[in-house]
Amino acid sequence: MSALVEIRDLVVAYDGGGGATRGLDSAELYVASGETLAIVGESGSGKTTIGMSIGRLLPPEARIESGTITVDGVSVVDVDAEALRQLRRDRLGFVFQNPMTALDPTMRIDRQMIRAIGGKPSHDAIALLLRRAELDDPERVMRSFPHELSGGMAQRVIIAMAIARSPKLIIADEPTASLDASIREKVMDTLGRLREENGASMVILSHDLRLVSRHADRVAVMYGGRVVEIGQSATVLEQPAHPYTRALIAAAAGNEKPGERLEPILGAPPVLRGPCRKCAYEPRCGLARPECANSRPEARLVAARAVCCHFAEEVVEATSDAGEARTE
Amino acid sequence: MSVAKSIVAALCRLMREDRLSFLGLAVLTLLVLIGLLGPWLPLGDPTRIAAGPRLAPPSWAFPFGTDELGRSYLPRVVEGIRATFLLSIVAVSITAVVGSFFGMLAGYFHGVTDHFVARGADILFAFPAIIVGLLVAAMIGPGQVSAVAVISIATIPLFIRVVRSVTLSVAGRGFVTASEVAGATPWRIMTVHILPNILGAVIVQLTYAMSIGMIIESTLSYLGLGVQPPQASLGSLLRQGSAYLTFAPWLVLSAGMVLSLAIMSVNLVGDAIRDAIEPLKGRALK
Amino acid sequence: MSQTIVELQDIVVTYRAGFLGGEAFEAVRKVNLSIREGETLGLVGESGSGKTTLGRVCLGLLAPTQGVMRFGGAPFGTLRQRRGQLSVVLQHSEWALNPRLRCGASVEEPLIILGVKPDERKRRVTDIFDSVGLGDGYVDRYPGQLSGGQRQRVSIARALVTEPRFIVFDEAVSALDVSVQAQVLNLIMDLQHKYGFGALFISHDLAATRYVSHRIAVMFRGEIVEDAPSERFYGTPDHPYSQMLMSSLA
Repeated sequence: MSALVEIRDLVVAYDGGGGATRGLDSAELYVASGETLAIVGESGSGKTTIGMSIGRLLPPEARIESGTITVDGVSVVDVDAEALRQLRRDRLGFVFQNPMTALDPTMRIDRQMIRAIGGKPSHDAIALLLRRAELDDPERVMRSFPHELSGGMAQRVIIAMAIARSPKLIIADEPTASLDASIREKVMDTLGRLREENGASMVILSHDLRLVSRHADRVAVMYGGRVVEIGQSATVLEQPAHPYTRALIAAAAGNEKPGERLEPILGAPPVLRGPCRKCAYEPRCGLARPECANSRPEARLVAARAVCCHFAEEVVEATSDAGEARTE
Repeated sequence: MSVAKSIVAALCRLMREDRLSFLGLAVLTLLVLIGLLGPWLPLGDPTRIAAGPRLAPPSWAFPFGTDELGRSYLPRVVEGIRATFLLSIVAVSITAVVGSFFGMLAGYFHGVTDHFVARGADILFAFPAIIVGLLVAAMIGPGQVSAVAVISIATIPLFIRVVRSVTLSVAGRGFVTASEVAGATPWRIMTVHILPNILGAVIVQLTYAMSIGMIIESTLSYLGLGVQPPQASLGSLLRQGSAYLTFAPWLVLSAGMVLSLAIMSVNLVGDAIRDAIEPLKGRALK
Repeated sequence: MSQTIVELQDIVVTYRAGFLGGEAFEAVRKVNLSIREGETLGLVGESGSGKTTLGRVCLGLLAPTQGVMRFGGAPFGTLRQRRGQLSVVLQHSEWALNPRLRCGASVEEPLIILGVKPDERKRRVTDIFDSVGLGDGYVDRYPGQLSGGQRQRVSIARALVTEPRFIVFDEAVSALDVSVQAQVLNLIMDLQHKYGFGALFISHDLAATRYVSHRIAVMFRGEIVEDAPSERFYGTPDHPYSQMLMSSLA
């Protein structure tokens, strides 16, 4: 598998009152062509920063301090504005959390589609695109203003726009978070199918672990501005090797038995003022030992995934024990 | 973190970054100071007839020249600034209180109240200010009182509309609902929860109403419906000077320039306040 | 047997589009529900199913077109008469608190409305901040200085400060991160143990609802299509729509 996106040693700082804070602290990530990668983590973990840095769509107060981002051979960090626009237009497609804010409320859908596709697409071409996004009545949708569509339909329009130019990479930021539970699956299925038809890769930013486990090939868990665990979804989510991954899974409602109590992760994610020289999760970690506060864990391969924890082997063992206990 | 404090802080930042807003604030401050201190400045008596030759061009002794009665024009323009600002400020203050009150009432109580206030504002809005001016002047006679009344009548509907729409959006927020469920009276909700959260919009609207007020005042005085001689306002000076436009253009020019500067600076400051309150949101493409 | 706090009998809510009649839209159709002291009823359904409208009826913010809402066995009356007896925790944490008021003032407000004396108010505000796991330091902060989870704790403190008999949680944890969500859900359950209020937990998230509720009512197109103990929603519920909601948890 060749890498479509490769992020190396990326440091992004946010300027703000009280000095700069680090959004990414030497983050590493690659996305293979044709795969779906999910990035999960709490708010403040850096998942949005890393996802948006792929298209260099960072807010104005963000600064890329060091590191490289390569997308389909283009070095995003030092490319000029025109080339960046071209990259975004031709090779990236974006699906945002709230389709209603992503669409222009004053413009009918057909005109917005024309602008998204570029050039002078025929009426039928637009209809076909909407139909591919599984909108049953494309004619009506094209005549509509955004507020006349339901949330699910609006998100399908956004999806149609995102794939209009056959991008190589679709970046989906919480694509179903604003949608009703009953239609989330269907919208994700549509997104997944269109990705496959285009042979594109996809990066999903999400905090919904269940959704991720069903729709992503690989999952990257972010904490303190780094990817702390990355591997095949089934491997990572069923047998986590990082204590933070394990805590995230334990905190999510849905896996508990009736009457069982969820275990929230106490404390808050760190606010980094500079490079973190220890394990960023150490203050919240139940397994923390002196070593964790003294040296920064680097990524290493443990049980078929890359993980940044000094004691990953123990975590894997503990979860497999617990798993066996549960199946008995 | 009171509203005023946050606005001042944001304004200071903006003024540093944006020269045009800074210029606006500087000019406005200067004009207000001149207007305030006018009677005590050593500029000469604005009402002294035959202080110099008639319709003399600007000179060292009479920087803005003299008018047809030989009065020095500079102190008259200063008096005009004073009158124009004073009348607009008084009128706009009335507008702000009345307009905010009815705007909040309309925005918070739906249904009949909203219907009446909003339609009332529409009807007022439909009358051109000048027609209202003629009407009011006919009823209570031309002068300062009718100028204030006309400015208020013309700007109140604008105010009601804006305050009503921001009130509508604030009234839908969770803290208002929570307070209603707790059994708060409408008075409490409007004063504690709505007013402080729409104050920013009110202040911005105030500056716009101020510039509209100055335009209306000048128009009315120009038409002879506002300030009456021998008192001067920028509008009445324009009217007076327009008779001699061809051979004493400095009269119209000086009053006109000052009026334009005043309106422009008020607008610039208004824009700066608006930008300070509503900073651009969203991701910029860097 | 604990007492029934809120009882809905044959509630119908009809919205009329337009000024003169127009087409009537039935948001809620003949709903019967009851909530007891110390009990949480979960209300799930998609947007437009009528669950928020039903929540507003339970809060006394909306008079039903037909049917009766009884509170503590008597007709509801007005919110002013019921002050201190019920409260609400809402979704959008950035708008849940008045940004111009310090958190302490927001929490104190229901007590002021109730007419509690100043020193008594101060004591109760301090106590309730403690109960929701926020220290004294948060009393003087503004909402903008808090995280989403902390703001939601302040909202819960405001809802609890008068020790009401009934609280509506409307999408109260939906906007929160998974880890914070668990904290807030646990907090709600602990506080219910301590104070014994009845609760209506409205959400589109079945996982969170099932965790925090004793019973769950599933709403679909204005009707309650299933009303069953939460345990059923760990197995196989009866109604096809409930089953579909369950499938997203598999």
